[in-house]
Amino acid sequence: MDEFQEILQDFLVESFELIEQLDQDLVELENRPDDLELLNGIFRVAHTVKGASSFLNFDVLTHLTHHMEDVLNKARHGDLRITPDVMDVVLESIDLMKALLHTIRDTSSDGGIEVGACVVKLDKISSGELDDESSLADMPLEEEIEDEIEEVEDALVEETQEPDYENMADDEIEAEIERLLNQRQNEDKAKRAAKIAAGESVPEAPPAPSEEEPKPKPKPAPTPVPVTPAPKAAVRKNDDDEDSDARAASPAKRAPAAVEQTIRVDVKRLDHLMNLIGELVLAKNRLIKINDDVEERYEGEEFLEELNQVVSIVSLVTTDLQIAVMKTRMLPVGKVFNKFPRMIRDLTRELNKKIELEISGEDTELDKSIVEEIGDPLVHIIRNSCDHGIEMPSVRIAAGKDETGIIGLKAYNEGNQIVIQIDDDGKGLDVEMLKQKSIEKGIITEKEADAMSDKEAFALIFKPGFSTAASVTNVSGRGVGMDVVKTNIEKLNGIIDIESEIGVGTSMKLKIPLTLAIIQALLVGVQEEYYAIPLASVLETVRISKDEIYTVEGRSVMRLREDILSLVHIGDIFEVERILDGSEHAYVVVLGLGAQKLGLIVDTLVGQEEIVIKSLGDYLKGIDGIAGATIRGDGGVTLIVDVVALMDMAKNVKSTVTSSNSEASQLLKEKSKASDYKVMVVDDSKTDRTIMRKSLESLGITLIEATDGQEALNILKQGDHNFDAMLIDIEMPRMDGYTLASEIKKYNRYKNLPLIAVTSRTGKSDRMRGVESGMIEYITKPYSADYLSSVVQRNINFKSEFLS
Amino acid sequence: MSDKLKEIISQQNERQNVVLSQLDDIVQLVGFVIGDEEYAVPILSIQEIIKPFEWTRVPQVPKYVLGVFNLRGSVIPLIDLRAKFGIQTKKHTDETRFIVMRHGDDVAGFVIDRLTMAIRIKKDKIGPAPDTVNGDDTLIDGVGKQDHGIITILKVDKLLERDF
Repeated sequence: MDEFQEILQDFLVESFELIEQLDQDLVELENRPDDLELLNGIFRVAHTVKGASSFLNFDVLTHLTHHMEDVLNKARHGDLRITPDVMDVVLESIDLMKALLHTIRDTSSDGGIEVGACVVKLDKISSGELDDESSLADMPLEEEIEDEIEEVEDALVEETQEPDYENMADDEIEAEIERLLNQRQNEDKAKRAAKIAAGESVPEAPPAPSEEEPKPKPKPAPTPVPVTPAPKAAVRKNDDDEDSDARAASPAKRAPAAVEQTIRVDVKRLDHLMNLIGELVLAKNRLIKINDDVEERYEGEEFLEELNQVVSIVSLVTTDLQIAVMKTRMLPVGKVFNKFPRMIRDLTRELNKKIELEISGEDTELDKSIVEEIGDPLVHIIRNSCDHGIEMPSVRIAAGKDETGIIGLKAYNEGNQIVIQIDDDGKGLDVEMLKQKSIEKGIITEKEADAMSDKEAFALIFKPGFSTAASVTNVSGRGVGMDVVKTNIEKLNGIIDIESEIGVGTSMKLKIPLTLAIIQALLVGVQEEYYAIPLASVLETVRISKDEIYTVEGRSVMRLREDILSLVHIGDIFEVERILDGSEHAYVVVLGLGAQKLGLIVDTLVGQEEIVIKSLGDYLKGIDGIAGATIRGDGGVTLIVDVVALMDMAKNVKSTVTSSNSEASQLLKEKSKASDYKVMVVDDSKTDRTIMRKSLESLGITLIEATDGQEALNILKQGDHNFDAMLIDIEMPRMDGYTLASEIKKYNRYKNLPLIAVTSRTGKSDRMRGVESGMIEYITKPYSADYLSSVVQRNINFKSEFLS
Repeated sequence: MSDKLKEIISQQNERQNVVLSQLDDIVQLVGFVIGDEEYAVPILSIQEIIKPFEWTRVPQVPKYVLGVFNLRGSVIPLIDLRAKFGIQTKKHTDETRFIVMRHGDDVAGFVIDRLTMAIRIKKDKIGPAPDTVNGDDTLIDGVGKQDHGIITILKVDKLLERDF
């Protein structure tokens, strides 16, 4: 059973690989029906699948592929012309074959799919056409070929070859057979090597090859048959050579090279490798941070240079390694593009339009996970272009355009982004019509419509429920597709840019980051918290003064050059407790997403950093506005902002940029009784604390005690109390007064907290250190109770009416 | 001689079986205190117990989700069990610990007031949760009776389940 499973796996992998190329080949074939090489390739696929599936007892699949093979074989021999109608049936059968293979993959059996109808059609083609055009082929020969396909013996092969020799020039045939044999042998060799590489042990291999071996041998035989007229064969061969670079359809050239240069690796291994690299990048960031710290502390030391060198080498190698591993995960985007020629072909027939697809840049590489994700959005966009973009042939002619519409599908790199561009030369987007439809469907109001720029109006097509189609067709018009496009692309941190001109065409650009796992981010701070914003969405940062912020209809806005930019404070979105920091300035991070713009107000800009995206896990997934988390150089966790969600959230946030500040500060200042005032006393000596308590007792204020700097800091961090001042001793265990003061000043919310040193140190340098660390008063022990009381009163703005 | 040997062997086997069956009957738990109550979770569901350190607040979550912290490169949610059980939160002390629990792929850290000890308790000493708290939503797996009192055994899978 295990052995069977293994063979089945091999079979599936091989079949899916074969089919991938098939769609394109078939469409190509329709344009060039006499391309023998193409026909042979397609025939081979059907044949290989048939052979393997009969061995594996997939009767339905065998039945289907057998009849496909019949038709293709006729075509190969020139007995059958590939007309669009024939092609329709062939394509249908290929679709069925795919469906069957999928079923086999999922259930290990090929039941449940009805192939009868398709087989009948295939039969009709092979028999019906044969009657009409039997003139070309000798009947006996035909029979022999038929037999062959039913798995012939070697003896029969020789028989079939005999008459051929008579009809052909000897050297021609010799060469042809030689070539085909070589090709076949190479392919077999390649296949076997690949199987061994894929981990199939040699002793297990025999069952498959031994079954396959008889088949490759009869194979070369049928191929010479169609080349019966010698001169024609020569011409075709030349054609093939010329075409080979364009089509790259010659497996003989491809197969050996593939074996030498590639190795099949489980994606899981690559994912694991990528995770490890992620960890390494984090460690590198940390190393750089430590290096900076060490540099500061041991300036001028000799070992520093060495350390510097090591750090830069590690950092360089890590970056290279990261790129290298990223590259191993890259796939050419052509893998996705391949399916579009077929799709366009089907659509043109369905819509009765004439459309040509021009693909370029299919070698551009993208991360595997992204390649998998962009397929669906592209399908929607291209369907949309066909249905809504390109006009009917008659309309096009009337408009003076070529009857055939052209859709361009282009991929290229731009910085560390990849751009996929879809152009059509259709009728273009009509801004007024878009607005009108949106108003009708209640997506926007008339007022909003008036204020919209063209770009914003184009973006309307991505709104759920929006559709310009007058009627729902098979192809589009349900108003779902483009919404899916937007969601999918944004999930990849990508953006969509639309340009369009009425009557000329539409151009859509999908800009997608090369990889998902590691991104560049801008780190911003709000109070004591930090957030990372993907740099791809940051347009610019500006520093503004608070009075440049205006309030319009309850929303904060600012003037950015010619435009009005609506603003939102990051603290309002992430529920950060904000205490007025008194700063007159604010930083605005201008976020851009397609046509949308938003100013995000933050307290500080920390800088740009390369971050590794980590998920928050199942427990915390789906939090609005948070895309994930990253681990910083200091080991702390920083949350990554989801710019898309943030833009939506910003719409529902009331302006608090100016108002809440004053409210908050008022709340702080509102004191209704003496005990509302809170002062922390930090001293390691119990006696000293008692003296201070006694001295301040008469004021009736609340006193909180801490025995050293560390404890005091913890109490502050806890945030249970709003202190109006702190009395701090200098000499303390664990953390002294100076350190405590400078630690406290690191926090925005305590920037204006009065710190009063109470100490027996009287030296001038001590006082200076006190001032440097942020103490605003300096009381030397011993002091009088009245003096301490008056200093405290002054610093906490004690209201005189509370004095009893 | 051989009869004696057989006897000894069979005796040994019996003893072993008794030990094994005893092992089967015993549940190993780790006890901890939240507020005034002692709770316990199966020892095998605990990945590690660590001293408190810095965490990062996460917005838009219930109060009992303190945020996330970095456990050797993984980002793990931190849940305050005092807040979750509706007890007034208090500041962390020297005895406060983070217990990192795992159930399948779900991992989270839980803040507890203090650890008590590893407990071995016989299965028959564990009663069902009181009827009043029964139902699918309860966090209580059962109540263990001990010499000095009772201990509430919690369902780890429920603790790790997102309920907001």
